[in-house]
Amino acid sequence: MKKSQIKIKVNGEWHELTVPNKKTLLEVIREDLNLTGTKKLCNTGECGSCTVLMDGMAVNSCIVLAVDANGKEITTIESLSQIGKLHPIQEEFVARGAIQCGFCTPGMILSAKALLDQNPNPTELEVKKAISGNFCRCTGYVRIVNAILSAAERLRGENDERI
Amino acid sequence: MKEFDFVGKDIPRVDAIDKATGNAKFTVDLSFPNMLHAKLLRSPLPHAKILNIDTRRAEKLAGVKAVITGKDTPYVFGVSHFDQTPLQTEKVRHVGDAVAAVAAIDVDIAEEALRLIRVDYEPLPAVFDAVEAMKPGAPIIHEGKERNIAAHASYDLGDVEEAFKKSDHVFEDHFETQRVAHVCPEPHNCIAVWDSSGKLTFYYCSQAPDLTRLQLAKAFGIPESKVRVFTHNVGGGFGSRATSKFSMDFAAIVLAKKTGRPVKIEYTRDEEFAYSTFRNKFIMDVKTGVTKDGMILGRQVTTISDTGAYCDYGPVNVNVGGAMAGTLYRFMNYKFDGYSVYTNLPYGGAMRGLGNPNVHYAMETQISMIADRLGIDPLDMRLKNAVHTGDETASGAILKSCGLTECLEAVAEKIGWREKRANPKPNRGIGIACGVHFTGVRLSPGIDADFAGANLIVNDDGSINLATSCTEIGSGSNTVYAQMAAEVLGIEPNKINVVFGDTENCPMGWGSRASRNTAVGGMAVKLAAEDARKQILNAAAEKMGIPPDNVDMELDIKKGMVYAKGTPSRGMTIADVVKFNRYRKDGQAIMAKAHWDAPSELADKVTGRGNFSSAFSFGAKAIEVEVDPGTGKVNVLKVAASQDVGAAINPLGINCQIEGAVHMGLGYALTEELVLDQKGKVVNDHLIDYKILTPLDMPPIESVIVESNDPIGPFGAKGVGEMATIGTPEAISAAVHDAVGVWVTDLPVTSEKVWMALKKKTERG
Repeated sequence: MKKSQIKIKVNGEWHELTVPNKKTLLEVIREDLNLTGTKKLCNTGECGSCTVLMDGMAVNSCIVLAVDANGKEITTIESLSQIGKLHPIQEEFVARGAIQCGFCTPGMILSAKALLDQNPNPTELEVKKAISGNFCRCTGYVRIVNAILSAAERLRGENDERI
Repeated sequence: MKEFDFVGKDIPRVDAIDKATGNAKFTVDLSFPNMLHAKLLRSPLPHAKILNIDTRRAEKLAGVKAVITGKDTPYVFGVSHFDQTPLQTEKVRHVGDAVAAVAAIDVDIAEEALRLIRVDYEPLPAVFDAVEAMKPGAPIIHEGKERNIAAHASYDLGDVEEAFKKSDHVFEDHFETQRVAHVCPEPHNCIAVWDSSGKLTFYYCSQAPDLTRLQLAKAFGIPESKVRVFTHNVGGGFGSRATSKFSMDFAAIVLAKKTGRPVKIEYTRDEEFAYSTFRNKFIMDVKTGVTKDGMILGRQVTTISDTGAYCDYGPVNVNVGGAMAGTLYRFMNYKFDGYSVYTNLPYGGAMRGLGNPNVHYAMETQISMIADRLGIDPLDMRLKNAVHTGDETASGAILKSCGLTECLEAVAEKIGWREKRANPKPNRGIGIACGVHFTGVRLSPGIDADFAGANLIVNDDGSINLATSCTEIGSGSNTVYAQMAAEVLGIEPNKINVVFGDTENCPMGWGSRASRNTAVGGMAVKLAAEDARKQILNAAAEKMGIPPDNVDMELDIKKGMVYAKGTPSRGMTIADVVKFNRYRKDGQAIMAKAHWDAPSELADKVTGRGNFSSAFSFGAKAIEVEVDPGTGKVNVLKVAASQDVGAAINPLGINCQIEGAVHMGLGYALTEELVLDQKGKVVNDHLIDYKILTPLDMPPIESVIVESNDPIGPFGAKGVGEMATIGTPEAISAAVHDAVGVWVTDLPVTSEKVWMALKKKTERG
C-alpha cells in the first residue's frame, strides 16, 4: 500500500502525517486525530454528515482523499466554539430545537457556517439549498432552516440583544 | 390546570450543547486499544443449501485473527419466534444471510479475507411474494411451517356478519403498503469485550439495553450478571434498535471470545439499507358495513404481511395493526385476520408504530373512499364515528383520555377544511385522516409487564443524578425527565444529570419502545422524585424544628431552597439539607428509586381483546396538495398535524417530534420504497437512490397540540413519537383524489401511479 507524507492544518494546528494514499480525510480526522465530532453516515458523499470546512469551503470529507488535503486548512465542529462560548449558529440550533438525535448536527452546522461566511443574508430558499446535501432523519428540517436564518440575523448584528 | 415552573415549558434539550459541539459520543465513535474489526460474509443466493465452507485461505491472510462459521455460533435467537441463527450452517434463506465472519486488524483486511472464503451452495427454488408463498407447492423456507405461514393473529369481536347484514352498504377495498427503511443516521454497530472473569461488555447502540442483555444472556446460556450492555447517544432508532437481533451482535461476541480482543462491527450504509430490517410490506383487504348516513356498524380487516426470511418483529407488527384497527371508531363488531408469511427476502422488523401505520393506511383511506361514495364530508364521517373519553373499544381498549374529536377539528381549521370543500379549485385537493396509537404496550416480550425504572441521588451541591431505564434515542426523553424531576423537586432542570444506557448502573426497564418514554418512563421518574422530595422535606423539617406531621403543610421547595410557607426567608438550600442529612451520626443519603408497571393487561388469548396499554394517543392530519395532471406529480402545499398528547411536558420537543414524523410520513406516502431485484436483493441501498425528502421538498407544517389530561400518565402525559407518523399517507391519498378524482391505494403515491390512474379514468370516459 503506497503511503504519502502530508501536512494539514486542523483547527489551527499543523499535523504532519504519513497516510496510505487511499485514506480519506474523514478517516484521518476520526481515526488519526480522534476528532469524532465529524460523523460517518454513508461514506459515499451522499449525506453531508462528514462535512468539514477546507479552506473555508464545505466539503464531504469522506470523498476527499487525505493526500488532496495536503497543505490545506481544515475546520471541524470541535473548533467552532470556544470553551463556554458557543458559535451563534450552535446557539440557535440549541435554542430552536434544531437538534434531535444529533448525528447530522455537526455536518449541518458546518454547512450553515460555510453558507453564512459567503452569504450573510441568505433567503430561506438559499438556506434550504445550502443544506440540501445534509441528510436528517429526525427533524423534517423545519427548525434547522429557522435556526440558520436566525443565526444569520444575529451574525449580521440585527435583532440580537445578546451581542 | 395547575401552572408549573418547568413542566409544559419549551425547554431546550439537555443534551443539545454536547450534540452541537461534537462532544456527544455515539457508540460508533468508540474504539479500544488492541481492537479488531470484523465483517460478515453474506449469501449471494436467496435460497440454497450450504454444501461446504472453506475458510483456510482467509485464515492464512496476514492480519486476520479469526474466522468463524455457523459451527462456532450454535445459538438460536429471534424476537417473536426463535427462528434465527447468527451464521447459517445448513441453508441460506435470503440474499445477505450471513454464513461466516472474519476479525482482522483493520476493515480492509477483513474484507479481503471475505473474498478468500469459498462457499459451495446448491440453489433451491425460492419465493419472493407472500401471496405466492402461501400457495400449495411453494418452496418451504422453514421446515414445519406449512404454506410458509409464520404466524396468524386474529380478533373476533361482536358479530361482524350480522353487522354487515344490518348495513345499508358494505364496501370492500384492497390496499398495499411498501417496504421502507429506517435510515438511522448512525449505522448499526457494536463492540464486544470479554474480561478474564468471563464477563461480556457489549457496547451497542440500543433502544433497550436491558432487553439486549436478557437476550444475549439467554442465547449464550450465561447469567444476566455476566452481560453488561452499554449504550451511548443513539443516532436514530425508529424501532430498528428495539432489541438485539442481528448476526452482527453474535459474530462480534464470538470473535471477541475467540481472539481475546475487543471486536467492532460497523455496518456500511448498503448493509444498513438491506440488512438492518425495515417496515414490512402489508397487503390488506378491508370490508366495512355502514348505514347510509355513514355510521360504521362492523369492520373486517385481512392482512398478509411479508415478513421475509425470518420473523423478527413481523408477527408483532401484524398483531399491533389488528389491535389498533379496532380502537379508533365506535363500532363493536370487528374481525381481523393477519398472516405473517415467510419469503426468501431480507427480513423486516419494528419501525415507528410497528404495523399500525400500515393498517391505518388501509382503514383510513377506506373511510375517505366510503365518505366519497356516500356523498358525506369525510371529516363529518370521522367525527360521527370517533371514540371518546370513557369508551371501551372493540379491541378492549379503555380510553381514560381521548382528544380525537379536538384533533380532527384542529387540523380542519388549520387547513381551511370547510371553506376549501365549498370552493374547490382545479387540480387542488385536501385530505384528512386520523389515528390512534398506544403509550407503552403489554405485548412484548411475552411477559406480563410494561415497566420502567428510575434511580435518583441528590448530590451535596443540590444537583441530581437521575438514572433511567429509557434510552435517549433523540426523542428528547432526557429533557422531559429533567423537567419532571425539576418540577417535583423545585430545582432548575439544568441541575439534573440524566444517565442512561448502562445495564449495571441504571434501573431495569423495557427501554425506549412503543412510545413509552414520557408516560411510562416519566412516571418512574416522577415517583422517584416525589420520594426524594419527601426525604428532603423531612430532613429540612428536622433541622428547622418543624414537627414531622406538618411537613407538607409547612414546607415547600423553589429554586433549590426549602422554605417555610408564608415566611420565605426562613429556609435552607437543598445542598445544605443533603449535607446536614449525610454528615452526622446515623446520617442518610437522599436517594430514591422507583419501578413503574403501567396499568394495562395482556390480551385474551382467544379473542385478542384486552386493555393492552395504559393510555392511547390520538392525532389527525389534514393535507393540501396540487396535482399536475400532465405528469401525475403531487406537490404538497401544506400539512396540518394535531396530536392529543395528554399533557405537553415540553411543547417544543413535541413539535419537533411531529415535524420529523410528518417528514417520515411524507416519504412513506410519496417517495420512499426499498426496491428488490429478481433475487430479492435490495437495489436502492444508497441515499442517492432511496428517495428521502430534502429540505427543498418540505411543505410548511402547522402542528397543534391537544391536551386531554390523562388520569394515569405523569402530569397527564401520553406518548408522542409513533402516533405522529400515522395519518400522512392516508391524507395524501385522499387529497390526491380530491384534486383529480383518482384513488391510488398502494403506497407510495408516485407520479407514475397517479398518471396511470388518470389515464385509465380518461379511457373509461
